[in-house]
Amino acid sequence: MRASLSRLRVPILGPILSLIAVGVAVGLTTDRFWLLDNLNNVALQASIVAIVGIGSTLVILTGGIDLSPGSAIALLTMIMAQLIKINGVPVPVAILIVLVLSALLGAFNGLLASYGRIPTFIVTLAAMSIFRGIAFLFNNGSPIFSVSPFLEPLFYGKMLGIALPFFYVLIFYALAWGFLKYTPAGRRIYAIGGNEAAARLSGINVHQTRFMAFVIAGVTAGIGSILMTARLNSGSPNYGVGTELQAIGAAVVGGASLAGGYGHILATMVGAAIIVVVQNGLNLNAVPASWQNITLGGIIALAVFLDMWRSDFGRLAARWFGRLAGRGHSPGGAGRDLPPSG
Amino acid sequence: MTSTASALWEVREISKAFPGVQALDRVSLALNAGEIHALVGQNGSGKSTLVKCLAGVHQPDGGDIRRLGVVVAMTTPTVARTQGVATIYQEFSLVPTLSVAENIFLGRLPTRARGSVVNWQRMRRESVRTLRELGIEIDPDVIVRRLSVAEQQLIEIAKAISEESTLLVMDEPTAALGLSEARRLQGLIRRLAEQGKAILYISHRIDEVFQVVDRISVLKDGRLAGGGLTPELNEDSVVRMMLGAELKEHYPKQHNATAQPALEVEGLSTDSGIENISFSIHAGEVLGLGGMVGSGRTEIARALFGVDAPTAGTIRLNGTSLHLASPRHAIKAGVALVPENRKADGLFFNFQGPQNITIAGLAALLSGPFLNLGREAKVSQDYFIKLDISRAGLDRTVQFVSGGNQQKIILARWLFAKARLLILDEPTQGVDIGARIEVYRIINELTAMGIAILLISSDYPELLAMSDRIAIVRDKRILQISPSRELSEFRLLEIASRGNQQPQGAFHAS
Repeated sequence: MRASLSRLRVPILGPILSLIAVGVAVGLTTDRFWLLDNLNNVALQASIVAIVGIGSTLVILTGGIDLSPGSAIALLTMIMAQLIKINGVPVPVAILIVLVLSALLGAFNGLLASYGRIPTFIVTLAAMSIFRGIAFLFNNGSPIFSVSPFLEPLFYGKMLGIALPFFYVLIFYALAWGFLKYTPAGRRIYAIGGNEAAARLSGINVHQTRFMAFVIAGVTAGIGSILMTARLNSGSPNYGVGTELQAIGAAVVGGASLAGGYGHILATMVGAAIIVVVQNGLNLNAVPASWQNITLGGIIALAVFLDMWRSDFGRLAARWFGRLAGRGHSPGGAGRDLPPSG
Repeated sequence: MTSTASALWEVREISKAFPGVQALDRVSLALNAGEIHALVGQNGSGKSTLVKCLAGVHQPDGGDIRRLGVVVAMTTPTVARTQGVATIYQEFSLVPTLSVAENIFLGRLPTRARGSVVNWQRMRRESVRTLRELGIEIDPDVIVRRLSVAEQQLIEIAKAISEESTLLVMDEPTAALGLSEARRLQGLIRRLAEQGKAILYISHRIDEVFQVVDRISVLKDGRLAGGGLTPELNEDSVVRMMLGAELKEHYPKQHNATAQPALEVEGLSTDSGIENISFSIHAGEVLGLGGMVGSGRTEIARALFGVDAPTAGTIRLNGTSLHLASPRHAIKAGVALVPENRKADGLFFNFQGPQNITIAGLAALLSGPFLNLGREAKVSQDYFIKLDISRAGLDRTVQFVSGGNQQKIILARWLFAKARLLILDEPTQGVDIGARIEVYRIINELTAMGIAILLISSDYPELLAMSDRIAIVRDKRILQISPSRELSEFRLLEIASRGNQQPQGAFHAS
């Protein structure tokens, strides 16, 4: 019990402290940050990143990466808008169709990455281009506006005075947390990310597990696309640009290791908030968009750097580097002296 | 006496502490020219730390290192190398995709006079010379990946050693080698000593040390526990120094074989080359597979574990015919493999002990669709107590427990998954002597439960002592199966290597 408590506390504590620090720092640069309206806006913005980040985290835990959710969002907002506005499909049915399609997009990535044995980076880089390309095939590549009056309440509506996306995030994170902690499938995701060879020799169906992680990532991108369509009451092939980076950033800032096997899903939620707060701070200070991209990239690089510095990934990298430099390997890692493991 | 005026290299009163551990406590060693000096001790006794101090990886807190009486500061691995210390680590540092010559000169590629262009001719010429000096007959243009483990080990030495090297430090150089490869390597080490180099030879294997070295020093808990010239010592006395207590028996073998056949293999052939293999293992029996590296032992294990699909023959386990299309099918049928390389193929370093134990049998933890984590904690705790696993592994990831405890955790995994046939591939490699005996005890417990065991081991005394019967494998065939009490180490080696025409002390690239 004590062990599981500390396991929960430690990975989340760091990101939460970082979030507070970032919040305080942004608050110092502008009076408007702590205004209720602005915080509400931040929360709404973070909700989409957070939900897409669930899938990104799962894929990262398996030792892979998913670059496609931003493009999947563009494609799915177009399909949803087209279904509702042009084909007259009722909103709930359209949502169901989009969810099914999003699972298929994830399955496309998953099939190629597992049974097709193509590195996930390559598969999803290709998918990133393909999905957005298909998005432009709809409506001659033009956005579809004013889709339906029933959409915006799905995003801007409130329950008990609290914005609905807050509940969505809570529900999906509770599901993801339970899935990872309490199901064999969740355990296997950590296992294949931790040591794929050992997983195979332990009887785990590695392909199936990786495939499933991608399908879930497809669905969380699908949920993100539904929220995006609802929020903007429109679909556009230009939506979701950079969302994959925000989602990966949320996972990495939350402490997930890009080497796979390490990371806590709830930390991704905090990571999403950190990323959105930073971007909001830049917005409030009227920093040009180009600098916002530079900052996002910088945050991700910094988070990975810190992760490498403190984790096994670092030891691994140090060893590779050591080999290349012909110094033999140094299990002590990046300049640190560690006690012998015996 | 630890300091002599004539010592080529000398370690004087070296101490090194890590947070919470005094890894080395005023250790002194004299390393004489032309002498092979063994450093033995259990895991965690400080051997590796001493190696790293010599290699410039760690800086000692106290004491110094001297060459011909002059203090030398090993501030970095590069400095240590230029000062003449060549270190060969247990894990290889070769780049598998580069050629032998490129690997030998990695990090110090010869370049043409003015620029940064590699001088390939010179590199090749000097590689040929280095290899010839060491008596290694390997083509310098061969890609390292194509070489056998034993050959790679030799390249590792060729790489570490240079003209200036006066001290060669080797950490478990024979750990990955079969008996005959180990012998050849030892021949090479002897020649290097005869050239006037000092050799520090780290090993777990006491019997091997006695065959190879001139002088032995024993480390225990970071202190020098004793030592002396090899002829003045015997195995028992060294083991006693390592353990600090008398060891009752090396091999606590129990005979638990029953009359009931568990595994029956008939006429098995696979694409990997094994041909017409037939044998059986009874419930509770340990069948040892004896043979050289490359004889076909591994291929037999792979076929039984569903890695290589059979092209002919049948495999039956407890009367049921098995069709093993993948390891997953094998595990479902009750076959388990404890791999030779437990770090790369066995352990999940992102998991603590309990998750490592239950991963192959998660279905047994289900309450409805969910894992019962309380039950997981409880059963793991039971295994930790039963197999005497260090409790550090309960709530820390398994990278922080010793090799012996790691091995026990993997064995617990297969106990939990209810394996009926366990394939143990070099189960005590890199495991210190105390934990080795634990592994033997676990083998006894497994067989007492009626589990059939296929034991692969290059450690022949271990194989002879722990097996009920031994199948000797050569050229992908089983030559004979006989009760292990009818075999001796000599006889086993003789049968396994009969017809081997390779000259001793020379190596050929395949």
